[in-house]
Amino acid sequence: MPDESILSDGFVRELMTVGDVDIVVGVPTYNDARSVGQVVQAVRAGLLKHFPRERSVIINADGGSRDGTQDLVRAAAISDLSVASDVHALRTLHSISTQYEGGPANGIAIHTILAATDLLQARTCAIVSPESTTLEPEWMERLLRPVLRDGNDLVLPIYRRPKFDGLLIRNLVFPMANVLYGCSVREPYPSDFAFSGELGSQFLGQDIWNQEQGRRGTELWMTLWAALGKRKLVQSFLGAKTRREDAPSDLVAAMRETAGTLFTSLDAYTSVWHSTPEAIETPCIGCEPAISDGPSRLNRKRLYDMFTFGVKELDPVFLSILTTPTHDELKRLAGVPEEKFSFSGELWARTVYEFAIAFHKAVIGRDHIVQALVPLFRGRAHTFLTQNRDASVEEMDRNLESLCKAFEQEKPHLIDLWDGGK
Amino acid sequence: MAAQDGLWYKDAVIYQVHVRAFYDSSGDGNGDFRGLAQKLDYLQELGVNTIWLMPFFPSPLRDDGYDIADYRTVNPTYGTLDDFKAFLEAAHQRGIRVIIEMVLNHTSDQHPWFQESRSSRSNPRRDWYVWSDTDTKYKGTRLIFLDTELSNWAWDPVSKQYYWHRFFSHQPDLNYDNPQVREEMWDIMKFWLQMGVDAFRLDAVPYLVEREGTNCENLPETHEVIKDLRARMDREFPGRMLLAEANQWPADLRAYFGNGDEFNMAFHFPLMPRMFMGLKLEDRKPITEILKQTPEIPENCQWCLFLRNHDELTLEMVTDMERDYMYDEYAKDKAMRLNLGIRRRLAPLLDNDRRRIELMNGLLMSLPGTPIIYYGDEIGMGDNVNLGDRHGVRTPMQWEGGWNGGFSPADPETLYSPLMLNPVYGFQAINVQSQKRFEHSLLSWMKRLIRVRKATPVLGRGSIQFLYPANHRVLAYFRKLGNETILAVNNLSSKAQAVELDLKEYRGSILVEMFGRNIFPRIGDLPYLLTLGPYQFFWFRLRRI
Repeated sequence: MPDESILSDGFVRELMTVGDVDIVVGVPTYNDARSVGQVVQAVRAGLLKHFPRERSVIINADGGSRDGTQDLVRAAAISDLSVASDVHALRTLHSISTQYEGGPANGIAIHTILAATDLLQARTCAIVSPESTTLEPEWMERLLRPVLRDGNDLVLPIYRRPKFDGLLIRNLVFPMANVLYGCSVREPYPSDFAFSGELGSQFLGQDIWNQEQGRRGTELWMTLWAALGKRKLVQSFLGAKTRREDAPSDLVAAMRETAGTLFTSLDAYTSVWHSTPEAIETPCIGCEPAISDGPSRLNRKRLYDMFTFGVKELDPVFLSILTTPTHDELKRLAGVPEEKFSFSGELWARTVYEFAIAFHKAVIGRDHIVQALVPLFRGRAHTFLTQNRDASVEEMDRNLESLCKAFEQEKPHLIDLWDGGK
Repeated sequence: MAAQDGLWYKDAVIYQVHVRAFYDSSGDGNGDFRGLAQKLDYLQELGVNTIWLMPFFPSPLRDDGYDIADYRTVNPTYGTLDDFKAFLEAAHQRGIRVIIEMVLNHTSDQHPWFQESRSSRSNPRRDWYVWSDTDTKYKGTRLIFLDTELSNWAWDPVSKQYYWHRFFSHQPDLNYDNPQVREEMWDIMKFWLQMGVDAFRLDAVPYLVEREGTNCENLPETHEVIKDLRARMDREFPGRMLLAEANQWPADLRAYFGNGDEFNMAFHFPLMPRMFMGLKLEDRKPITEILKQTPEIPENCQWCLFLRNHDELTLEMVTDMERDYMYDEYAKDKAMRLNLGIRRRLAPLLDNDRRRIELMNGLLMSLPGTPIIYYGDEIGMGDNVNLGDRHGVRTPMQWEGGWNGGFSPADPETLYSPLMLNPVYGFQAINVQSQKRFEHSLLSWMKRLIRVRKATPVLGRGSIQFLYPANHRVLAYFRKLGNETILAVNNLSSKAQAVELDLKEYRGSILVEMFGRNIFPRIGDLPYLLTLGPYQFFWFRLRRI
């Protein structure tokens, strides 16, 4: 049964005025005033251009902003009371906002949007990031049309990203999801995506909303749940995606969201990854090369230093997480000078798997386990930057394939440890 | 009729009828004035107090009578001038006023004036029409009948010049730069006013005068012609009325009221398609937007509202996006489309859904303006898109389930138009006789609606104030006149709706529903919560007791 109790009475009253709709566009926010106005204006333009006849609503689930974020979203509404003279729309477009309790947490925002989507009986829902400043009106068409026209359940984005963006996805999420679940979508942890109303109701009916993955990493959980549930997935090329210059970068939080969700999923899908998973078909609509050139904003020296420092500082923690050979190998690696430093795919895969086992067994607090992976990831990121500094798109793809192979080769090790071997 | 109240048209409920289509008393297959007179009791019982007659003049009928060949008499098919006079008197005796058509802009090419005009370039009436050696003058003028005409100029092989026509090529435009034409047209109007007609619907008024470098519409010279006619009419026949047919945007239409010295009334063309649009979108926005764009008009003027009429549901006054939407939603079958419009009647447009038919009529009767009911729509008559042009919405009135639907005793094949025969809209299924038998028939409901409307002068004369509740599917407004206030709340949606209305201005008042006269809760401090069933509407009288 859908849990609608997270919706405040005031918000339910607003939903009542919206009535049933065809399209919901959800925007989770928290102090995003610097970019959310631009994003919702583009969303509105996209809805007017591509779906002028559909009943649409923009729903903002806010984590407690104090910078006027909610007002900026509400300003996108088109009604007979307030409408810019340059906007011509057939019908009313509501743009409503609510503040949820217990935030800020993207998962709660998504939960709120899912509950609203379910109540409004929407045929489809797109969720867009308030930081997607490169969002163009066409994104709405590319996200929503595959659901409305082609009957897909989940539409995941493909972006043209700068070469060194999305390192956590490329080094951890993609290879792990690919090897363990047969899920080879480019953006398994999407910030802009869409799903059918039916799938949204199914998400809502799952028993995760009081758990950690119902707070963070929820988008990744949704991808895996839909993919492994044999729902109809499609990838849609959206265009360039760049991070907002001033967007906060919190690697620990990102690690919690990605690794934490992935590790949790191992318990839910043990039988899937223990066998050889079937490759999940994820066709791509309008795909173009997904990597653009651009300098790295990352400081490799700093990554190296934080890796070596972390290995030294967290040694007791690593002793409780890692097997002895892996622990020794990492300690050896921390002694290698930067110019010769190379964190191989095999060692990285083995390390990740051993962290997953530790997470499964909860050898120490699970949050500590995930946090301890951060300095090691920095070491891997250093190698990734070195490896791909001058690489072409094709070479980067080949390097990614190699990494996936390493995760594949090490998979028996994971199974062995999971099943009790040492 | 005596003009006791010069503003009678504000309280009117108009019934538009084609003599030919209403009732055939002579048995020749065509309706006639004697037949119409015989049916006046029906119209009186329906409750309408004004009849608008479509053209009944002698005509080759290539445009359903809008191609007039003689302005001073009656088409023999419909009877004689004496028959008309008898009808007019009988109508007046029942308190029903009569509006007749006056096609000022053009005549039939069979009119003696045009025959004389084309006979030679030196004919004294040559200058009664607009002639040219080339077909390149007035280039900025749009074509109205896109489906049939290629140019506004037609070649006359007799006098070997082009003549100007804004409509069909067999309807040459009169030349209003010629004072003789203006005098003659006033003389014709006077002829009918002296007989006792109460008003004229002036057809195609924006196009009277042409000027190079313009779009030849709404020109100041055209307004001068109208002002002159109005002044003469007011002087010699006070209390009569002029109604403009000008399919224009509200801002352009406004000029036709002048300072209260041009038209008394004008059709609000842009509102009509938006009412249908709002209903299909389940969104009040198209309706409130166009009404917000509608300028104030002089105190003695009034808008004329309609849902359907003898023409296609015109989509000239909508954007391309809106037109596409209307076509897709209301005219999926391309045979339903004509020119820039949809040739369908009210009931088929609304899928014969009684709730929607009631709601649309409720809007018609409660929005600011004088309502017009197109004959047959009060019983939910259907249309026949297989007939050419707009003939499909001009089929015989369906009086009963027997021979020819009670329209005519003639053999069916001699009728001016085939009757509706299909199982849904055919005369056996839809007719006056059967609907008179039931209190809950559409006809009976329409009678009640008209009765309430006529008993509520604020609906004809009051101002409007929209409420804009957050629920955009609900269209709510006050109509106010003096101390009287009416609240209309309309659910445009196919689903039940809840709506909260800000009525604090009337805190302490009681709402009295106007059809059942039931009392609703007193208005308090909180927003007033109403629930409405699908397509339901309420009219409330606000009473301070």
